[in-house]
Amino acid sequence: MVYAVEAGDLGKRFGDIIALQGLTFRVEEGKIFGLIGPNGAGKTTALRIVSTLLLPTSGSASVFGHDVVNEASEVRRLITYLPEEAGAYKNLSGYEYLQFMGRFSSQNGEDLAKMVEDAASISGLGERLRDKVKTYSKGMKRRLLVARALMNKPKLAVLDEPTSGLDVLHSHHVRGIIKKYVEEQGVTVLLSSHNMLEVEYLCEKVALINKGKIVAEGAPSELKDKYKASNLEDVFAEVAGLA
Amino acid sequence: MRRSLVLLKGLRNLVAKEVKEMVRDPRILLGIVIGPLLILPFMGLMIRISQETAMESMRNMSVAIIDFDGGVFAQNLTDFLQNSGVRIERQSTSNISEVAAVAQNSNITAVIVIPKDFSTNLTNGGQAEVEIYSVFRGGGVAESGTFSAVNSLLRAFEQKLTDQRLIEASLNPDAVLDPVDISAMSIVRGKPTDVNPDALFAVSMSQFLGFPFAILFLIILAMQLASTSVASEKEEKTLETLLSLPLSRFTILAGKLAGSVVVAAIGAAATILGVVYYIGAFSFGPSVQAPVDLGQVGLAPGLIGYVILGASLFVSLMSALAVAVVISLFAEDVRGAQSLLGFVYMPIFLPMLALIFTDINTLPLAVRIILLAIPFTHPMLAARAMITGDYFIAVLGIVYVAVFTLVILYVAARIFATEKILTMRIRFGKRRASAE
Repeated sequence: MVYAVEAGDLGKRFGDIIALQGLTFRVEEGKIFGLIGPNGAGKTTALRIVSTLLLPTSGSASVFGHDVVNEASEVRRLITYLPEEAGAYKNLSGYEYLQFMGRFSSQNGEDLAKMVEDAASISGLGERLRDKVKTYSKGMKRRLLVARALMNKPKLAVLDEPTSGLDVLHSHHVRGIIKKYVEEQGVTVLLSSHNMLEVEYLCEKVALINKGKIVAEGAPSELKDKYKASNLEDVFAEVAGLA
Repeated sequence: MRRSLVLLKGLRNLVAKEVKEMVRDPRILLGIVIGPLLILPFMGLMIRISQETAMESMRNMSVAIIDFDGGVFAQNLTDFLQNSGVRIERQSTSNISEVAAVAQNSNITAVIVIPKDFSTNLTNGGQAEVEIYSVFRGGGVAESGTFSAVNSLLRAFEQKLTDQRLIEASLNPDAVLDPVDISAMSIVRGKPTDVNPDALFAVSMSQFLGFPFAILFLIILAMQLASTSVASEKEEKTLETLLSLPLSRFTILAGKLAGSVVVAAIGAAATILGVVYYIGAFSFGPSVQAPVDLGQVGLAPGLIGYVILGASLFVSLMSALAVAVVISLFAEDVRGAQSLLGFVYMPIFLPMLALIFTDINTLPLAVRIILLAIPFTHPMLAARAMITGDYFIAVLGIVYVAVFTLVILYVAARIFATEKILTMRIRFGKRRASAE
């Protein structure tokens, strides 16, 4: 079986700092998989490796069977990556930004128009898409970027803290978008979050990371049952030895 | 074929985005397009207005004459001034203090006092005196122009008297005043021509001073644009998204360079337009020296000269952009990139200054090698080659700068292709660890 993502014994060092040590996980096609853990646990590093931006120091990772190091350009054709705290080009309008991004994966003008139309609907920004990005609030910008990451129906969407810094309403909207899009389009999502309640709502399967290692993995309900916890936060506290 | 079409499509999309982003940035738009288009012509306009005012006041120059002499030579002087277009304000009073008060409050430029024995002294072959009181109204270019115009007219009157005296003494004024007639001519590209060398130097100096300035401006502008374009991707946190797109890193790099070239060209065109108007302001009024026709003396650059200069400029511009991109890869934000870029301005200024004031062949070998190693020396050498016709060194320069650029581009592409682009940085100020 070919997994959407397969990471085996993934390690990464930045000089003296060990960011990942022996990370192994698999993401099935059409599912939402969450990497959860506190700040500095190594979530972003893992997502950057899967997105071909960083090279692993040891181990391997592949996306739909393509190695992220040796077949990076193949991998980039299959994925979209939404970095945490990502920005958009502030002097372009929302529409122009979506068109600019869409042109890299669209086949023709019709295809592009459809993509941008979808993105407009996903973002829910309406007429504000005609305004320059620099006039957007943080929440509006994030909605634009999430729409960009999903509009071309990638085989795999890698979303780093998709609701980072957003208020309740914007977070709710973004979570709704992701869940709906996966159900309707069959897109696979690999996301990271330090908000465990959010992950519990979104993900079919999660991996809890602490200090660059996976400390527990499974469906949220399985993990809660296994550790007799009422939510994933309690599970994390238990497995990380914080309880 | 399909692969290159995709690459071209990606590149076109990137360049369009770069240009749109830069042109819409108020700082860039104001600094490189609107600024030169408005400020330079405005400066030119100011100069033109002040020159026109000066010309106008010279045309309508009026002087007051207090004539204590009343003789034939005093009348001759008055007629001479009048025939030269000067309006004469005859004064009813002979009191200089009263005339001065009147002059100060009117448009009189100067008061000329002709003493009592003016005509007698001149008739007897002696020396006569004239006093000029120039009316000072606060200085300025226009005022100084009218002062010298009055003086020149009096000198011309004096010259006329000298000639008359020499003719009366049966002497040839030219033979007495200018016994050796010097004809200044030049040898150009091994051939004698009857062009005055001063005029020739004036033309070539205007090229040597104007051209390096234009090159320098274009290079610095393009470098700032390219570095801003790369550094703002980091600052605005758009770089990671860009790097995860199905685009080769080389295409991203090429898009940045091409976008900067396009915007720099727009800026250069705006500046040239501004400069043309600015320089046009100086050519107003009568020309002191007839312009030299470079074509007539065999110095007009041919098509090959322009091609070589264009090629030299292009490769130098690309080398500057490549250097700017590599430098800004190390910076964390736009300000950091601009600070780092400050270090490379010196090598750009150095050849320009050196080549304006000296001939590279007269410099010590070590200095010559250093200058030749700097890519920005070569378009200036190419500009000089257009005049001298010695294209060999210019072509050699193009090859060198092209190789230099390729090496720098290779380094930039290597950095772009690795994770270093996200991880390396030179920080200004306190350091911060960043594991995630």
